[in-house]
Amino acid sequence: MRQETFEGLKTTFPMALTIEKEKGAESRVSTNETFQKIVILGYGKVTGEVLQYVYDRKKEYGYEMEFIEHEIHSFSITEKICAERGIPFHRITDKKELTASLDRITDKTLIVSASNNFLFPASLVEKAHITIVNFHNALLPDYPGRNAPTWAIYRGEKTTGITWHYVTAGVDEGSIIIQKQCEITDDMKAYELTEKLMDLAAEAFRECFGRILEESVQAREQGFDPGRRMYRSREVPADGHFSLTDQPEAIYCLLRSVDYGKNDLFPLVRTRIDGREAEITRYRRIPTDRRKEGEGLLYLPLGADSLLKLKYRFL
Amino acid sequence: MEEKILEILEEHCEEALDYDGDNMMEDGVIDSFTVINVVSDLEEEFDIEIDAKYVVAENFRNKEAIIALVQKLLEE
Repeated sequence: MRQETFEGLKTTFPMALTIEKEKGAESRVSTNETFQKIVILGYGKVTGEVLQYVYDRKKEYGYEMEFIEHEIHSFSITEKICAERGIPFHRITDKKELTASLDRITDKTLIVSASNNFLFPASLVEKAHITIVNFHNALLPDYPGRNAPTWAIYRGEKTTGITWHYVTAGVDEGSIIIQKQCEITDDMKAYELTEKLMDLAAEAFRECFGRILEESVQAREQGFDPGRRMYRSREVPADGHFSLTDQPEAIYCLLRSVDYGKNDLFPLVRTRIDGREAEITRYRRIPTDRRKEGEGLLYLPLGADSLLKLKYRFL
Repeated sequence: MEEKILEILEEHCEEALDYDGDNMMEDGVIDSFTVINVVSDLEEEFDIEIDAKYVVAENFRNKEAIIALVQKLLEE
């Protein structure tokens, strides 16, 4: 296992659990042809990195490529990347239309699901000429489903990571192509962890892309418990609520776990103050000597020399 | 105010200070994660709430746009 130092985290971690084994008999059958087309689906930083990398290797492998934007995000740069490089760009937001579009593919095709919440139907996954790989933002088989960084922070994990895996009909069940691990630091928020995981995912993709194309990946079955918990998009840690009598560390953990900036992935966390329901609009760990009283502010002790500053408003 | 905003930008994205174009996001100077950090620090520094509707590429196209956004929110 190689060691890799994370700049910024200033710690050393065992990395690149590149777990390789023969693809299971149930995996798709190689047709002994090279991939003629690569379709990339996704949004966000990792999708931009994947797009760029797949484009850079295009001449070497001779495939065609195209990009599908299924979920639209305000800061997306994928359209620009595509326009500058002449990569066909399709915006298909309707699930049925997307399924129909993918169903029409007849060439031997690799679909790269870079950061994507669309669930591929079994009818597509099972086609022999289609191979789908997906990035999951946790170390499968742990934390399958949605919002894995949230649950990892909320559960107080010290480490998490990413997985690229083959897609099967079950959600996040396919065999593992590559995994990479990283640390969850004490003050890390969900969006910061997400960024870290996207960087790791891009790095891992560059490492395994050639093997995926050459169909030489030694993939590893997940071997998960069939009764494992699947995290759903509607689930919110602690139902998004805390009591002021809870441990401040646990409150801080909850707040960080659902913090995706202005993204409304989760509602604002709530609590009761003086018998009234309130929502937390901002929070921050601050040194004890930076305490300043003000309206709608609350401070809880957090460790020996810091405070959890909570800005709230009544509902 | 401007000085404080530039300090925050410098902390998260030094390149933004020298950028003289019209779309930091598309030009790869700033990304969505950096924007989240900048917004968080602006809210804390100026005790303002930057609603999600303002967190769009247009308002983060360059440092002048960010300063104008904060100015507008402070005047509201």
